[in-house]
Parts: sequence; C-alpha cells; structure tokens
Amino acid sequence: MAKRHSEAEEETEINITPMLDIVFIMLIFFIVTTSFVKETGIDPTRPEAETASVRARSNILIGVTEQGDIWFNKNQIELTAVRQRVEEATAENPESSAVIIADEGAPTGVVIDIMDQIRLGGVIDIAVAAEPEGS
Amino acid sequence: MSTRKRKAEEEAEINITPMLDVVFILLIFFIVTTSFVKESGVDLTRPSNEPPKDVEISEVVAIKIDATGSIFIGDRATDIRAVRANIESRLALKPDASVVVAAHRDADAGILVRVVDQARVAGAQAVSLAALAD
Repeated sequence: MAKRHSEAEEETEINITPMLDIVFIMLIFFIVTTSFVKETGIDPTRPEAETASVRARSNILIGVTEQGDIWFNKNQIELTAVRQRVEEATAENPESSAVIIADEGAPTGVVIDIMDQIRLGGVIDIAVAAEPEGS
Repeated sequence: MSTRKRKAEEEAEINITPMLDVVFILLIFFIVTTSFVKESGVDLTRPSNEPPKDVEISEVVAIKIDATGSIFIGDRATDIRAVRANIESRLALKPDASVVVAAHRDADAGILVRVVDQARVAGAQAVSLAALAD
C-alpha cells in the first residue's frame, strides 16, 4: 500500500516549467519598468488645467511650496543644488524628464529659475504639474 | 545504449529549486518597490539663452501677468475666462504666431499654468515662457 502510494506521487509530479516562464517574464517586466522615483515629500495644491496629460515616465520630481521653498527627495534644497541633482538623475537615466510640482500660490520666479536649472542640468523635457479639470 | 543514456540524463538533472527561490525573492522585491508615477502636467518651454538662429519670427501673441496676478493681452487687462477667446481671435488673424507668456516673478504659478493651458486650448502650437524683470 505504502509503495503504491509513493509511486503514484512520483508520476503526478507537477510540471513547474510554465510557471517558471511566467515568473521570469514578470521579473523582467518589473526590472525594466522600475524607475526609482524620488518623491518630493510635499503635496501642494496643483492648479487645474484642461490640457494636462499624464506623464508616466517622469523620474525627476521637484516640489515648490507656496512660500517658494524647493523640495526634492523629501528634503528641502536650495536652488543652486537643483542642477546637481538633475545631473545625478540624468547620469542614472539619460532619458530623464522632469515635472515641477508647484503650488498654486508659488511664485512664478522660483518656477522659472528651477526650469533654467533643470535645463542647465541637461533635461529638456520639463512640465509643470496640473490636475485634469474636474478631478 | 539508448536506455542507458536516458537513465544518465535523468540522474544528472539540475536541481532548480534554489534558483526558483532567488527568482521569487527578486520578483517580490521588484513588485514591492515599483511605484508607477501618476503625475499629470502641462508641458512648458522656455527659450534657451543661446543666440537665436535666423528664424523668421512671425508675429507673437504676448500675454503679460503682473505681480498681482492680473493678465494683460496686448495692453488690455483680461479676465482668465476671456484669455482663450482673446488668443483664438488673435491666432485667427495671425495663424503662425507663437504665444509668449511673460510672468512677473511674484505672480502665482497657478495663474501661469492656467494661462498656458488656455492658450493651448485656443490652439497655440508652442507656448513659451519669459520672466519679467519687474
């Protein structure tokens, strides 16, 4: 009885090859799509805009508070440090694009200065965060 | 001969269980650390500081935002809701005109984004940004 049981077990061994294929494909997918996003650490009130489009591949996020403070990677930074951070990000990923998450009440001058610094850091693709209308 | 070879193959089968463990741990790591950014935004272009090339500058629709957030198209103060209609009528006269938004440093960024958005809705191809000295 015992012998017969073990023989049956051997015969009905599960073929794990298809599962392994799927697991590998998932692994490759996640490795490729992972871009370690550095959150800004602040959540400002974004202005509403009708033409806002989702920017899925943006990996540089810079926040600006209502007072004009600049936040990057959960730290408050100076304007002069923006360029260096952007250069570090482009070294990691040459196809970086940036989003400035500015508060509705943030001063325009700070936003324009940050745009200049990002451009000096080598990133051309810059957007200002906005919420789609009505959301 | 054939049966002997087959038997040797079965015996020398590679044990893939440790590899499977590693792959699973990697998979779980990447699933947990992946965060898909869902940031939506309005594209902005800022003229670079390089000297302008020989481009025929067609006419420009200039929009000014002063320190208090008032919007001027040409010399006329305009409400944010009228910006779109104003730009549309100007673009109808000069279809190749580009739109330039010149904002004072102290103006709110929200107004700037809204003006750029309205200009884009009005059909402007490229909206560029300039800073007002004072």
